[in-house]
Amino acid sequence: MFEEEVFDAADSYAHLGFAKLSEYNFFQGDIADLIPASNVYPYDLNTPLFSDYALKKRFIYLPEGSKVGYHETDVLKFPPGTVLIKNFYYENAQLENELGRIMETRLLIRKEEGWTALPYIWNEEQTDASLEITGGTQKVSLLGKNLIDYQVPNLGQCKGCHELNGKIEPIGPTARQLNRTNIFNGKEMNQLVKLYEDQLLDLPAFDNIPKLPVWDNPKTGSLNKRARAYLEINCAHCHRREGPAKNSGLYLLASNENESEIGVMKAPVAAGQGSGGLKYDIVPGKPEKSIFYHRLNSTEASVMMPELGRKLIHEEGVMLIKEWIANMN
Amino acid sequence: MKIVNGVFLLGAMILNGCDTPLEHNPTRGYKSIEKALMSKILLAEDSTVITLEEGHFIFKNSLILNGKKHITIRGKGIDKTVLSFKLQEDGAEGLKIANCENIVLEDFTIEDAAGDNIKVTDTRGITFRRIKSAWTGEISEENGAYALYPVICTDVLIEECEALGASDAGIYVGQSENVIIRNNIVYWNVAGIESENSENVEIYNNHAYNNTGGILVFDLPGLTRYGKNIKVYENEVYDNNLENFAPPGNIVGTVPPGTGIMVLATKDVEIFKNRIDDNNTANVAIVSYELIDAMKGKDKKDKKEEGEEKALTSTQRFDRKWKKDKSYNPYPRSVYVHNNTYSSSLFPNLGNDFGKLFLLKFGLTRPEVVWDGILSEDYLLPTGEVNPEYKICVQETSVKSATLDAANDFENLASNPESLNCTL
Repeated sequence: MFEEEVFDAADSYAHLGFAKLSEYNFFQGDIADLIPASNVYPYDLNTPLFSDYALKKRFIYLPEGSKVGYHETDVLKFPPGTVLIKNFYYENAQLENELGRIMETRLLIRKEEGWTALPYIWNEEQTDASLEITGGTQKVSLLGKNLIDYQVPNLGQCKGCHELNGKIEPIGPTARQLNRTNIFNGKEMNQLVKLYEDQLLDLPAFDNIPKLPVWDNPKTGSLNKRARAYLEINCAHCHRREGPAKNSGLYLLASNENESEIGVMKAPVAAGQGSGGLKYDIVPGKPEKSIFYHRLNSTEASVMMPELGRKLIHEEGVMLIKEWIANMN
Repeated sequence: MKIVNGVFLLGAMILNGCDTPLEHNPTRGYKSIEKALMSKILLAEDSTVITLEEGHFIFKNSLILNGKKHITIRGKGIDKTVLSFKLQEDGAEGLKIANCENIVLEDFTIEDAAGDNIKVTDTRGITFRRIKSAWTGEISEENGAYALYPVICTDVLIEECEALGASDAGIYVGQSENVIIRNNIVYWNVAGIESENSENVEIYNNHAYNNTGGILVFDLPGLTRYGKNIKVYENEVYDNNLENFAPPGNIVGTVPPGTGIMVLATKDVEIFKNRIDDNNTANVAIVSYELIDAMKGKDKKDKKEEGEEKALTSTQRFDRKWKKDKSYNPYPRSVYVHNNTYSSSLFPNLGNDFGKLFLLKFGLTRPEVVWDGILSEDYLLPTGEVNPEYKICVQETSVKSATLDAANDFENLASNPESLNCTL
């Protein structure tokens, strides 16, 4: 159909970051085991972004002697030198006829002047990952799903989501997302408390720290709270007043109480084919008449939401939103 | 003049009257330069010119320019340099520009993005010059929404561009300030040119023809800002009779085929010295959001459905969430239409309710300028005079204008009413 491109990535990206992930020394031993080196701390989120069923191992690198500032609603205030390290991988059991592997590692590096986002793609031998500013695709065959072109974002796409008031910002590590337990050296403890005890984080009285429910665990919150948590992490990086999709008038932070702004009987502004012939983002009680359901339940580039970062429908997530809308009055 | 109009009319009938689909099928031989161009754009230092060679280039991903200043992306000319997004897998836009300052795009063609061909957001200073933005193949609902789409921008210049095939608007400027749209050609779109929730906009010397609606000036509720101070002049707006092919649910889906210039719920709009010919529903329509909202409640699809929305009374229908947006005013106000020239074919477009209504109420001399006549509570001052802020004025020679009194089942519909006889 067309002449393929021969592209020589000889351009040096040295001013952006190391060419290889191993050069940062975030991990000890076999790099593919992702065992954190000193000053590297594991963390999880209560409700994570869906990324084609990839599992994620997240770490924070904090320079020796630095301290993170607490914030009740925004992402914690990370000092210059901080690196957020997010590894995307599949386990053997998730894949059809292939071994599990790490697909990519995304770094958010806090420099003096602000954050930089860099994507690293792992080699087949799983011995290292290389900086690829134009991103890339890799074929993956998930059990029970179609073969997909797993997409590693390019530098521009990184910014497309990690953007707040025009600047790059982390999305996940807010206090409400980090307020959960994790295993530290074999011992289970709250992630925020761990950072506090290691004198890496200022913390107010623990009772006052907000907590986002776990989207798929009914014990952690009501259907409404879990659906709102899911929409926050999957949509609100763009759909908030300071985000790239502010022009839509749809604002999906879990804290937003304005029904119209979260889509209830709200007409779309510039949805194009995304409307799917439907008139409102959410019609209470009628998921199949709601644009929300339609766009989450699609993989067409012109229709699907989020626009980036998935080739598959998140069946379980769609179910949650469907149930949420069905139960609205 | 009559002969000229006759030729246009014939042209309109040929294009719309028979079943031959409208198609744009340029010859293309593609080459991929995706990674090379993408890295060039991603790594561009401020104040650089990115030159695109002559050729047809195909992309699987959006090209993204973010956070840069003084960048020019320049091709070798319309249809000489072609960026095609026919194979797009990721992202909805072809070229996406965000958080930039002083960007110039010129001399290339861009085609077939899944969503919008060029979207620019949060940018101060954006120029589109000699860009052709199109969807190839048959004109269809599957086409992307906007051909050229600056939104939340300031200092926007769009000139000498060509936009066709957009299932929403060819040239669309939203939530922006200080905008000039001039010397462009727009056809085969649902809306030719649309200014939405934008301030200080001049739309002049454009040709808008064979769209569903030629030039639209809209304000919608619940957005970051509202529009005012818009001038539409010296444009040629003719034969906008194309069937509406917007995906249902989109606001432009409510625009009746045969609309020349339409003003919706915006203030301080001046429409003058345009040639407005043969738009077979209304050459100029001035409407409130209440009318649009009522129309949205009863579009084609709904008629087939079980009718839970039809059961709503009009009052209930108007009491939608948008009413909660206190800073939104749903009425067009301070609108002045003057010194335009008009001609109309004998028969209105009977494919929509307005065409039928006009034939019924006005016979074969239907009005060139219509206002829905839905009045704000603030339309009249306590003294009984028209509130100057709400004036709708029409000064045209020997042309019929009308108010429809749409809120009261067209009971007090009037031709050339005295209320429109004012100046601003």
